[in-house]
Amino acid sequence: MNIIRINNLQKVYGQGLTATYALKGITLDIQQGEFVAIMGRSGSGKSTLLHLLGLLDLPTAGEIFIEDRNVLKLSGEESAAFRLKELGYVFQEYSLIAELTILENVYLPALCLHKDKQYRNRAIELLEIVGLQDRMNHYPNEVSGGEQQRASIARSLVNQPKILFADEPTANLDGASAEVVLELFRKLNQDLKQTIVMVTHEPEDKKYVDRVVWLKDGLIENLA
Amino acid sequence: MGNLKLSFFLAYKSIIKGNRWTLSMIILVMSLSFANLILIPSLLSGVTEAINGQQIDTVYANIVISPNPDKTYLNHVSQIENKLSQQSGVIGVAAHLNSGAFFEYNWLQKTSPQDKSQTGNWNVIGIDPEQEIQVTTLHSSLIAGSYLETGDRDKIVLGIEIAGGEDASTLSSLTLGGAKVGDRVRLTFSNSVQREYTLKGIFKARSLSANTLAFISRNEMASVLNTVTEVSVFADRASQLLVRTEKGVDETQLISDIKNLGIDGQVRSWRDYGETMGGVVSSFDIMGSLIGSIGLLVAAIVMFIVIYINVVHKKRQIGILRAIGINRSVIYGSYLIQSFLFAILGIVIGGLFFGYGLMPYFKSYPIDLSIGLVSLVIDPVNVRNSIGGILVAAVLAGIIPVVNIVRQSIIKAIWGN
Repeated sequence: MNIIRINNLQKVYGQGLTATYALKGITLDIQQGEFVAIMGRSGSGKSTLLHLLGLLDLPTAGEIFIEDRNVLKLSGEESAAFRLKELGYVFQEYSLIAELTILENVYLPALCLHKDKQYRNRAIELLEIVGLQDRMNHYPNEVSGGEQQRASIARSLVNQPKILFADEPTANLDGASAEVVLELFRKLNQDLKQTIVMVTHEPEDKKYVDRVVWLKDGLIENLA
Repeated sequence: MGNLKLSFFLAYKSIIKGNRWTLSMIILVMSLSFANLILIPSLLSGVTEAINGQQIDTVYANIVISPNPDKTYLNHVSQIENKLSQQSGVIGVAAHLNSGAFFEYNWLQKTSPQDKSQTGNWNVIGIDPEQEIQVTTLHSSLIAGSYLETGDRDKIVLGIEIAGGEDASTLSSLTLGGAKVGDRVRLTFSNSVQREYTLKGIFKARSLSANTLAFISRNEMASVLNTVTEVSVFADRASQLLVRTEKGVDETQLISDIKNLGIDGQVRSWRDYGETMGGVVSSFDIMGSLIGSIGLLVAAIVMFIVIYINVVHKKRQIGILRAIGINRSVIYGSYLIQSFLFAILGIVIGGLFFGYGLMPYFKSYPIDLSIGLVSLVIDPVNVRNSIGGILVAAVLAGIIPVVNIVRQSIIKAIWGN
């Protein structure tokens, strides 16, 4: 079953002579429970595609369906609510809120949705899954980059999203930390059937994913 | 958790775990802005009060009773004085019997009647010295000689701007040119009566208008004026009655009470009577409002810059909050609460600094200006406006940059573009 359907997605930055075509018409389906890597050279449009899929930006043309819902027709507030409930994000750079503890960072998105205190237990469970149960009361500047990224992953999962988006999540990590993060993604995908769409430029990351979508100059080069 | 609670949670964490230095700077700016907002108008209020104080102490007292427009004098003054003295809140009553006069000094040395040097026209006030001491303070501003006493008939006391000399600020040609205690002065009153007086004392008050007054005894003035009308009538007449009140007395109420006594005259506050000085005071009030408004604008701009820099530093964080689906209203609420709290802390700390630092300092060391000793006088309306102004400025300074950032694309905010 397709969880994401993209139809002729285009993104143009600027206008007229200065227009830059980041995406020139992408059509793509992603299955529920699939772990997909979007790869390509710098400037190929992979991050742009992820931002559009994650409703962080709007395309110039085209359609995006998530579970058969045309998400580009959502208003600003509806889009925010959709991101909160249905989508999870792991960013390239450490994206935790500096003033919150690791635990508070993880349960922050759940605070908006849940009136009971279950969000706290859920956050602790997730921190156990990512191996940070001992660091939950630390602040982001008190843990390593790899640990921050694992906390980001836990945060992205706290509302049990349908899709997890990761934008080069290992770009700023050393090899060992990157391996831990990627293993974690694979485990989430295999054990929890979590749909994951990850942008990466590391060829060796291919071994963790079900499918690679190669982008070149704003177009899909081939499906591997 | 509701949006408001989440806003409070984010604001609380931001303040508790935020940069202490930034937080301290913001609160310091807020505190100083608030203290400054109160300080300048309070200083001007202090100047106004000093001017008022001088006018009350030296020229008008608190309440002035003058004849109705169709009359020149108040009659049956002793009866009125008795009634006034029984009024609660009245410290003293002084009757003034006034006349204009042409003053001459060293007239015997002049060779020509056309020589007008060391002469001038001034007002002479006939006073009962014992009464006057209870109502005005000029007797304590003597720089030479002594004050009038009951029974003095050929004695005169002059303000420094009439006597002239080194201590006068008026041009020498517009004074008597340096009359000294013991010298003789000749006065030709407006009814052509001419008399000579010995200069008994010279006073120099902080009020320029007081320093152009001359005093003789009321009995003497009555005798001057009596020469052209029925004998002894002027003994019970007055040009004005000055009423000195206790501190803190409700003057409006007292004026109303005095009016109810059925006095045949006009009862007014010194402010209404001395309209010229009222104008000066009004000008100070306008100046205070103007400076206060500019101060508020400057404070608002400073706060805006400080809070704006703080918010812009959190641009990426705002982008991340939006990316993970946190509602805009939560983000607005969080920064609004922070700005509001900064303003409250600024008002409290600034207020404490003002109340327990600046106020006692100025009370102990008032500024010595020519118009008097100036200390700070708090105007509750100004304080209320300043509090309101600081709160509004802080809220705008907090919310405008956040609205700008939230209106940007999430990607731009996250990447800090």
